[in-house]
Amino acid sequence: MGNFNIIGKSVEKKDSLSKVLGTAQFAADIEFENMLYGAVKRSEVPSAILKNVDVSKAKALPGVVSVLTYKDITGGNRIGIIIKDEPVLVDDNIRRIGDALAIVAAETKEIAEEALKLIEVEYEELEPILSIEDALKEESRKVHGKTNVLQEKHLIKGDVDEAFKECDIIVENTYKTNYVAHMFIEPEAGVAKYENGIMSVWCSTQNPHFDRGEVARTLNMPQNKVRVIQAVTGGGFGGKLDISVQCHIALLSYYTGRPVKIVTNREDSMKVSSKRHPIEMKVKTGAKKDGTILAYEAKLTSDTGAYASYGPAVVARAMTHISGPYRIPNVRIDATFVYTNNPMAGAYRGFGVPQAAIAHEGQMDALAEKIGMSPIEIRLKNALRVGDCTPTNQKLNDSIGIVETIEKAVEKSKEVIFNEGEVK
Amino acid sequence: MSKVKISFNLNYEDIVVEVESNKRLLDMLREDLNMKSVKEGCGEGECGACTVIVDGITVTSCTVLAPQVDGCSVITLEGLSKDGELDKLQESFMEAGAVQCGFCTPGMILSAKALFMKNPKPSKDEIKRAMSGNLCRCTGYKKIVEAVEIARDK
Repeated sequence: MGNFNIIGKSVEKKDSLSKVLGTAQFAADIEFENMLYGAVKRSEVPSAILKNVDVSKAKALPGVVSVLTYKDITGGNRIGIIIKDEPVLVDDNIRRIGDALAIVAAETKEIAEEALKLIEVEYEELEPILSIEDALKEESRKVHGKTNVLQEKHLIKGDVDEAFKECDIIVENTYKTNYVAHMFIEPEAGVAKYENGIMSVWCSTQNPHFDRGEVARTLNMPQNKVRVIQAVTGGGFGGKLDISVQCHIALLSYYTGRPVKIVTNREDSMKVSSKRHPIEMKVKTGAKKDGTILAYEAKLTSDTGAYASYGPAVVARAMTHISGPYRIPNVRIDATFVYTNNPMAGAYRGFGVPQAAIAHEGQMDALAEKIGMSPIEIRLKNALRVGDCTPTNQKLNDSIGIVETIEKAVEKSKEVIFNEGEVK
Repeated sequence: MSKVKISFNLNYEDIVVEVESNKRLLDMLREDLNMKSVKEGCGEGECGACTVIVDGITVTSCTVLAPQVDGCSVITLEGLSKDGELDKLQESFMEAGAVQCGFCTPGMILSAKALFMKNPKPSKDEIKRAMSGNLCRCTGYKKIVEAVEIARDK
């Protein structure tokens, strides 16, 4: 290798000095003169018709500068990365525990919190939809629009029905994964400052350009008048790709003309931030006696919760990965993702791929056991190699690391798990 | 809320402050004394991001009331470097690549510092035990333990 300045060298992380000194400015550390503190009134029920939000008592509390509801939104009141279905402040129905109903700006964070208790919310509770099964019933109430189906997709390659007839061995199993919270160690936070017609937002985010667009639409301002600056961000893992405080602090700063900070507490962060999609995967794999896989069928259903977030992207990724890194000529994947009144599921390290891995690797082990083959051998036999095609017919022309990975794993396992010669 | 006057030693300097009697140590340090290295991750003593050293012992400053440090010595991350010279733990965290998002870093360094104050040559197990109250969600634990070992051996 040539004598490069950077490549092949161990370089110091650019921001490590400020982080070991404690001077790195996370969003909650940012202060401005004359700054107000914001807080969010959130719903405590998962499903209801919002009748009225009375903010008069909260407004009358000394130290409260502004209390806003959906009526004060000057622009659009629906946000979302793929489908704009989430209200900045609820204007019709409450769709989950934690939906934002009103926002407050006050001289201190204690006064802001106190004001939340004085906001009177009138609503008519509805029977919540809490399972995929209930969401898909024809007579079920619709969380949004005319259907509870966020997306239904199919991926078909070859002819699985014919291929299963030629199989000697078939294994069928159902795999279910649960919600997972990102639990980034820094709760969501931000400061907005509206000055000379420019809205500036400093926040903990993974998605500043998206944030800028959503803030601009919420305020009905052109994007070139909105600046979003990513503060040093304390972890995200996909959970800070959605809007958290951005639109709320921008609205409050717009109305008060003063800088406004919101720091989310852990409890609200846990309630409102997106989660990893729980997915139910019914999978059928068919192979010849020698372990060659001929057919693979999977039916995926998942609960995306009250709002789409990155759900549509997760559907596609889970589907294209659920047959695993294996060469399978006949594949049929059906996926249905539905809306419910559960917590919102979205982007989470891998977009559905980790869930799919549980199913495809579980199937490989089950198949190996049924055939009486080594779980390593059956994987190597079916592993994708250069020149093979994926279920979406992408030809892998240059490299695919699965064979090498399995071989390295076997080598390593000899060191750490098995004694030499004991790998079965 | 009534205020109380307390005196304590903060980062090797004696100070006197008036503070609301129901204020958390975390909030007094961050808001009144501008010690912004002290982070709030959970607010209930679980994550360790708000760790500070009080009289040589690590405490989660979100579960301590400010007036409780009256007469005590308190060390935050701001107190570790002097005149631009880094503490050996600060150097070793950079050297080992033990800093990712950085939000847990102040608490991690202070837990290690408190360990060294009692035991300058801890074993790897002793290091792990001393750091067990600090969560790193980026899962950089291996390098964090390595960083403390590097500092120990310096």
